[in-house]
Amino acid sequence: MNPNKPVQEPGDDPIREHVFDGIAEYDRRMPNWWLMTLYASIVFAVGYWMVTQHFSTSNDETRLAAELQRIETEKIAASSTTLDDATLWKMSRNPAFVDAGRTTFQSTCASCHNAALTGGIGPNLVDAEWIHGGTPGEVLKTVTEGVLPKGMPGWGPMLGGKKVSEVVAFILSQHDAP
Amino acid sequence: MSDRKITIEYNDHVVRQFLLASVIWGAVGMLAGVFVASQLNYWRLNFDLPWLTFGRLRPLHTNAVIFAFVGNMMFAGVYYSTQRLVKARLASDFLSSLHFWGWQLIIVAAAISLPLGFSRGKEYAELIWPINIAVAFIWVVFAVNFFWTLKRRHEPALYVAIWFYIATIITVAMLYIVNHLSLPTSLLHSYPVFGGVQDALVQWWYGHNAVAFFLTTPILGIMYYFVPKAAERPVYSYRLSVIHFWSLVFVYIWAGPHHLLNTALPDWLQTLGMTFSLMLWAPSWGGMLNGLLTLRGAWQKLRSDPVLKFFAAAVTFYGMATFEGPLLSIKSVSALGHYTDWIIGHVHAGALGWNGFMAAGMIYWLLPRLWNKPLYSTSLANLHFWVGTVGILFYIAAMWTSGITQGLMLNATAENGTMLAYPNFVETLNAIKPMMLFRVLGGGLYLIGWLLLVYNLYRTVRGARPVNGTMEVFATDRSADERLGFGSMVFNPPVMFAALGTVFACAWMFGGDLLKLAGLFGTALCVMLAWVHFHARTIRWAAWYDRLLVNAMPFTILTFVAVAAGGMIQIIPTTLVNRAENVEGRRAIPYTPLELAGRDLYVSEGCYNCHSQMIRTLVPDVLRYGDYSRLGESIYDYPFQWGSKRTGPDLARVGGKYPHVWHYRHMMDPREVSPGSNMPNYPWLFERKTDVAALDSKLAVQRILGVPYPEYKDGELLLAVETQAKSIADDLRASGVYIAPDREIVALIAYLQKLGKHEIVAPLKSAAK
Repeated sequence: MNPNKPVQEPGDDPIREHVFDGIAEYDRRMPNWWLMTLYASIVFAVGYWMVTQHFSTSNDETRLAAELQRIETEKIAASSTTLDDATLWKMSRNPAFVDAGRTTFQSTCASCHNAALTGGIGPNLVDAEWIHGGTPGEVLKTVTEGVLPKGMPGWGPMLGGKKVSEVVAFILSQHDAP
Repeated sequence: MSDRKITIEYNDHVVRQFLLASVIWGAVGMLAGVFVASQLNYWRLNFDLPWLTFGRLRPLHTNAVIFAFVGNMMFAGVYYSTQRLVKARLASDFLSSLHFWGWQLIIVAAAISLPLGFSRGKEYAELIWPINIAVAFIWVVFAVNFFWTLKRRHEPALYVAIWFYIATIITVAMLYIVNHLSLPTSLLHSYPVFGGVQDALVQWWYGHNAVAFFLTTPILGIMYYFVPKAAERPVYSYRLSVIHFWSLVFVYIWAGPHHLLNTALPDWLQTLGMTFSLMLWAPSWGGMLNGLLTLRGAWQKLRSDPVLKFFAAAVTFYGMATFEGPLLSIKSVSALGHYTDWIIGHVHAGALGWNGFMAAGMIYWLLPRLWNKPLYSTSLANLHFWVGTVGILFYIAAMWTSGITQGLMLNATAENGTMLAYPNFVETLNAIKPMMLFRVLGGGLYLIGWLLLVYNLYRTVRGARPVNGTMEVFATDRSADERLGFGSMVFNPPVMFAALGTVFACAWMFGGDLLKLAGLFGTALCVMLAWVHFHARTIRWAAWYDRLLVNAMPFTILTFVAVAAGGMIQIIPTTLVNRAENVEGRRAIPYTPLELAGRDLYVSEGCYNCHSQMIRTLVPDVLRYGDYSRLGESIYDYPFQWGSKRTGPDLARVGGKYPHVWHYRHMMDPREVSPGSNMPNYPWLFERKTDVAALDSKLAVQRILGVPYPEYKDGELLLAVETQAKSIADDLRASGVYIAPDREIVALIAYLQKLGKHEIVAPLKSAAK
């Protein structure tokens, strides 16, 4: 018997004539669902290219710009109720704001200003000296916009108005109200 | 045909060598993996030692597993099966030995150079240029040995395993050489010839297809030999083999840009990367089906035979990973999963499940045959299987949870989408620490399983006598009419339809209005004609393919054309285009010499392993890191450092964000300014002096590459470096810390403070694409 001739059982699928080191191969049809998957992915690829490259009027950059514009609008609208000094002092005596501000301060500000607010990389925040102005409004401005030449980042875009005002309330809570 | 019988003795000696090397390097690579994974949870495991830090050891882990573990395993499997499938001994004992010892020498060189910080700064392509040349040379030795063996074969037709081996050899050579083109600045350092977006594109064309053609196609070939052998069943479907082989090798190469989705990479490339990844799903599953369904009729053997258990699980994990891959390549899924542990989980489903288990199954099957002695313990092998499987499941489940958790946290917004919900990056890191620990557990279990194999192997081989397989063949002369000349290689229905279809499809995708339309019609017509012609003349198509299978050289040429097409269409336009037109309105300001020295430190310490420099066009990225990155901002980056993982935050715009002293303290002890960070300390940067002497030749190479550096006269370079270093040291002194200006930390701070600095340039009209 020829060892290179595979055994074809009756009723079994067709088998290829040639055998490689004892390995035979069925000559079966490919599964239909597999072929369909292949064709469907090709059709999708053609369609997706058409939609994104030929017919689309927007792209990642324009979509991002639109979304950022929406965010800015919303932020400006939200900041229309300006916090005056009196409100900030009031917040600084309210534990709800002070506690929230403390949490943000410890995670975000303490690395430079120290957990006890006594300064480190950044200046001391509990002494009487204010480099960039010590009224609540000025402190709020400093935290929001930062002092970039001195290495203080502007936290407004990062934390948002609510968190920034809480942080200011927390800092003020360490000082005597006028 | 003459009846002269000759006896062949196979060269199984080199198979045994590669097999043992694979087992040993596998243990080393996995151990390195468990170690670096632990470092992410316990930063103290970096030991404040340069050569033990994560940034240097992670490349060691990846290179060891890919090139040492899977590489050696592949060579063992390829050499064992090829000799039997083509009925010929390996052509040259000398080349076989040179291949083995050369490869081990390369691995040793890598294991020494990577912890010492010698790195090209590109993933899985970190090895420095002298080692690159050695790798390319040894690969050519492998190729010569392999094709020479084919030339001397006594089996005229090529079995499907051989197709995959051919694809592996030529494609890896192409990828490796192009991605390692470099200009040396010294014996141990070089800059890649591509920079910025070109480097990114070439790197991920290579990186993705290293997975395809180093970790997949050779292992598929090995599957096609060892699975039917072990199951003693015919292969499920030959037709599936044909279709999935050609579609796999053609489609795979295009999918590289899916590593760069939502980045500054041009949109058309991102789209191709995504759609070709989706089209890759079915070709990949074709391999899985042929592996799994070959086991039909042998399922009952799975209960007792560890070899089949490993193979069945490996092929299943292959199917899982190749479903997950296309899923992750969808742009919106990538927005969530990219840069997170999800990707790490995905590659390990492939590496541990597919590669590791195929290796284990193959080794358990080969041991008794290569040493002529039964396996020491089948139950130990079964135990290995279960421990390993549980290990993989722990690992990938932990990484899914971790990646999706961190991705959701990083992308989460509050206050009607205007704010980040978790502005502090460390918060997201701390959330996934339990999952990262679970990963260590899973990886540890997998390593224990591997050590069981090592012990089993030792007990099997000890005292056993190695045997080489033999075979009797008829010395035959091949008849002339089977030869396929150049004409019949090209001018035949399958090749012509495929080539024309591709050309038309390209015209449709890239052409102007009229050409586009013609391309679309041409493609459609081509597909229809091919369909009709195939159904009418099936026998002719099949007969031509049977003839191709007895002609190794035409087969190789056609395979090369299929794999080269995608890369050429994607890469050549981007490398040839005028770089000044490809900047999206911004151009980086070239690094000063001191900043360049700092950048080389960043590359050498492997910072890119945890930090990206690419802010994607996604709202959460912009809210967290600032305006999205433009192509022109990395135009002078040799190599690009866009990164692929964010264990720490993105650094593309970190320049100027913090004062110098912040970076000073952060590099000394990251936890001092960033509580909860898992970054290593870098105390040696404060002691070592910046290598200013090397700058002369570095700048010379950068000038050749097109970076506009002025010619420095005597002493001017030194003066420029000293002036900048002194101003940084002075600023630090004003903040209360004292450091000599010539220390490495000063150069690194100079570089970090430069990140994101650019000038605005007027967009050119022709920069549309």
